[in-house]
Amino acid sequence: MTGRHATVWIICLVIAATWCAWQIGGGHTRIDADFISLIGQENPGDTGEFNNINAVRHILAQDSRKAIFMVSAPNRDHASNGANDLAQRLSWINGTEKVTTPDDRAGRLPELIAFLQPHAAALLSPQDREALQAGKGAQIYQRAVQNLYSPTSTVSARSLQQDPFSLLPQFLGALAGYMGEGGGVVSKNGRYYVPVVASLDPRLAGADRDGQWVRDANSAANIVTRDNDISVARTGQVFFAAAEASHAKADVQRIALLATTGIVFMVGLVFFSWGPLLAALITLASGILAGITAITLVFGTIHAIAMVFGSSLIGIAVDYALHYVSIDPKRGSAQQRLRLILPGLTLGLITSVVGFAALSISPTLLLTQIAIYSVSGLIGAYLTVIFLLPFLPVQPVRNYLPIRRSVAILQYVQYRMTPPTWGRLLLVAVILAGFGASPFIIKGDDNIRNLGRGNTDLIAQTTTIRQVLDMGASPMFLRVNGATAEDRLQTEEALRPRLSPLLASGALDGLVTLADIIPSQKRQSENIDLVKTQLYVPYGQKLASILPIDITAADAATAPLLLPDDTSLHVLPELATLQSGNSDIVRLRGVQDASALKSALSGMKNIALIDPASAISSLFGQYRQWAYLALGVAMFAALVLAIFRYGLRDGICVFGAPTGAVLCALVGSFALGVPHNFFTTMALFLVFAIGADYVLFLAESRHSSHDQDTSLAVLLSLISSVLAFGLLATSSVPLVSDIGTVIAIGLIAAWILAPVMAGRRSANPVGIVPAPQNDSPQTANSAPINKDGSNHGQI
Amino acid sequence: MTLARFVRSLLLAGSVFCALAAPHAALARPGVVALEKSQYLQGDFTLNRHLSGFDKGLKSQGDFVLVPGAGLIWQTTAPFPGTTVLGPGGIVNIDANGDRNKLGTGEAQFGIFVDLISSVLEGNWSALENRFHVEFSPPGDDTWQVKLTPFGESAIGGQITDIVATGDTFVQQVRLNKPGGDFDDISLSRQQTRNLPLPDDKAALLPKAAGE
Repeated sequence: MTGRHATVWIICLVIAATWCAWQIGGGHTRIDADFISLIGQENPGDTGEFNNINAVRHILAQDSRKAIFMVSAPNRDHASNGANDLAQRLSWINGTEKVTTPDDRAGRLPELIAFLQPHAAALLSPQDREALQAGKGAQIYQRAVQNLYSPTSTVSARSLQQDPFSLLPQFLGALAGYMGEGGGVVSKNGRYYVPVVASLDPRLAGADRDGQWVRDANSAANIVTRDNDISVARTGQVFFAAAEASHAKADVQRIALLATTGIVFMVGLVFFSWGPLLAALITLASGILAGITAITLVFGTIHAIAMVFGSSLIGIAVDYALHYVSIDPKRGSAQQRLRLILPGLTLGLITSVVGFAALSISPTLLLTQIAIYSVSGLIGAYLTVIFLLPFLPVQPVRNYLPIRRSVAILQYVQYRMTPPTWGRLLLVAVILAGFGASPFIIKGDDNIRNLGRGNTDLIAQTTTIRQVLDMGASPMFLRVNGATAEDRLQTEEALRPRLSPLLASGALDGLVTLADIIPSQKRQSENIDLVKTQLYVPYGQKLASILPIDITAADAATAPLLLPDDTSLHVLPELATLQSGNSDIVRLRGVQDASALKSALSGMKNIALIDPASAISSLFGQYRQWAYLALGVAMFAALVLAIFRYGLRDGICVFGAPTGAVLCALVGSFALGVPHNFFTTMALFLVFAIGADYVLFLAESRHSSHDQDTSLAVLLSLISSVLAFGLLATSSVPLVSDIGTVIAIGLIAAWILAPVMAGRRSANPVGIVPAPQNDSPQTANSAPINKDGSNHGQI
Repeated sequence: MTLARFVRSLLLAGSVFCALAAPHAALARPGVVALEKSQYLQGDFTLNRHLSGFDKGLKSQGDFVLVPGAGLIWQTTAPFPGTTVLGPGGIVNIDANGDRNKLGTGEAQFGIFVDLISSVLEGNWSALENRFHVEFSPPGDDTWQVKLTPFGESAIGGQITDIVATGDTFVQQVRLNKPGGDFDDISLSRQQTRNLPLPDDKAALLPKAAGE
């Protein structure tokens, strides 16, 4: 590699850095931290599963924009004042779109009535419809007359012209009943509870500003609760997400600090030079840069999870640098030293690239992003090692350190415990048998509820708010399918009578369907006919004698019908939560008996009961299956490569090392109670890739002069990887801890298995580094190298 | 949701009227009767409902009973008999045949109006001041006038523009101005305070008052 190559590569890196800064810094490529946006990105036109996930995504997106506060005080005014104070403070926070309190109706009611009143005859409450169907129009006429003189009547000149029989208030009253108490002031156990609902800017989560919003909102709540009589509870996805992110961030920061300090200390101590540290650093940086460049070239939005997993390739990239800097400078020029590690480096790269590329065979956007990031990043790191590292100053490993001696002793131990070829083949057979048996023993657990740490305080507040205000998370919902909006509305109209027994028995607290607000056109036409024949015809003139207006019934054929279109959505934005693409959503309240609900729905076509947590878990289950498949492809590719390189028997043995490491990680973590999900499967990928590097480097260096250098590099790699990833196991966040546990077990297993499976080693069993004869940093195995890179076993 | 609030706003509007129907002890005007907790108020009313664009108003007459903390019974006798009961549990309309029509449920949702009535009876104006601009006119020899204007973005504001009440010992006249030019004129007469319990027929309509 010449200076010209290095210059070209540096120019490439500079261009890449400029590109990334322009793309990300300029906002042309967005880093999306919103978990919801990940869901449902699969191949559209798929089965109902896709629609379920899409509906879940829609619901979560809607719900995630809501933060619910519950202000309570011993008396109503005190509580209302506190709520208004909080609402005002919340409205000032950057990212708050709108704040709603019971006292803050924002003048929507007149607009709503004005919108619905012309359709009053089409919008019958179930009771009125039933009464008219039963020929009890007189009852409604009596009520209309009484309403004219009631002190609480809302009749107006306009309402009498459009709705002389006062049908709309009954419809709205019934609708209010469907919707439950949510949104109103509640009195319980001597305290008054007032809800304050903040609608958040949808860009908040995507821009990763939700944490700041939560901090500001908590400060606002703390100010309000300075009044000892007032207390504030809160719930909403934004709070849970911020709490989880906060814990994860704190853990990862602590671990990153420890890991970085440890790695710097290790490299500094071993080499006593800044050169190797710089080599590791630029290798990592160029790897990450190449990864980001590739991903920004392909995608307009990068998901944070893809970034995080893609960045985990630092665990592999750092190995590339360590292998180079661990070669004793006395073994020749920079180019000669590079040639020593190049075969192993190239083989390791190919194995890892094939492994990560296999991820892209899945239809999931997330895995494709991880694949592109990782493959590009590894190639970038590889090119940096071969183009740039030879130009960096190097220092030999300090012989006075016990690490050299330790490596020599370890090498001896490994030599003694290395079984003959048949023994290693038998071990591979055992490993493969273990894999064969693992599906029967180790079951996947994709439950997303297990990923988070869980915030008991927030959970308690959520429960209280749900119990008191009947607001907050309502996990289950129904998805209604149908070719047209009319079909769906008719299905929903058939649904309510089906679920009425459950509502009566308390198995279900309530439900709201789109058809409750906007009946189907068929139902509206029926209602208009009913009103005409049962009210206007027999009682129209009678009512007209009291009222100085002309009463004329609408005609079903010509009357304008209410439709679930943009006009309705404008007046009733809440309708958005009841629609998702070509499906309607039926929101359920208080599902007390899910099995009763399922059996009540049995036989109903086009209705699916969906539990968001289960749907997302199922999605991640699919991701896990894809990741398993990709891991299998990667292993097979590694086997082929190894056989091609080392022959059939040795190749199989070499293949056995990373495979065994993966099995150990799988079984070991399972024994420790780590649930196996998509994320831990991705950790297995990392174990495989790093494990493959270990064995390939050792296999390439066997019978060579730099064997001990390689052993040292592998040990340093293990230490750095365990520092970087293994410490994650100490995290309080289950997801982070699980990944750390899998990687720690896997890498240690890989480190043990790699020299064993790499074949009989040429290391001198004595393996003891001769004591230095002078002050010069004499190293072990420092014999000069021949052109082919070997020293024919000279020690 | 707005729809649920619609029902509540009906009650709020009703509650304001009820509150004003009570003696204004808090005004501390000479001659104003303060209603004690063990008492209730009864009297007659005439309601003239004027609808914009209509020459003829809708006139009704009847009697009412107001029980602090329990609610209001508004019994129309002419032109059509009917009863409206406003209680913490919501609004119940009872027609001449005894058929009941309940509009809204839930003590928590609708208890506000009872609070308002009670606050007025206890001379606590803050209950109304939280929701209205309260403006007193200079008192005459033995009469007073108060104007209540709801705060802009409130549920009541969607239903009522302002309320003007006049009275002496009791509230005598209430005018509720509504958006669109409609207004209700309510005249109260023959008002008197009585000691609880309510007569049986009234107590059946206001169970909470009967309990006391």
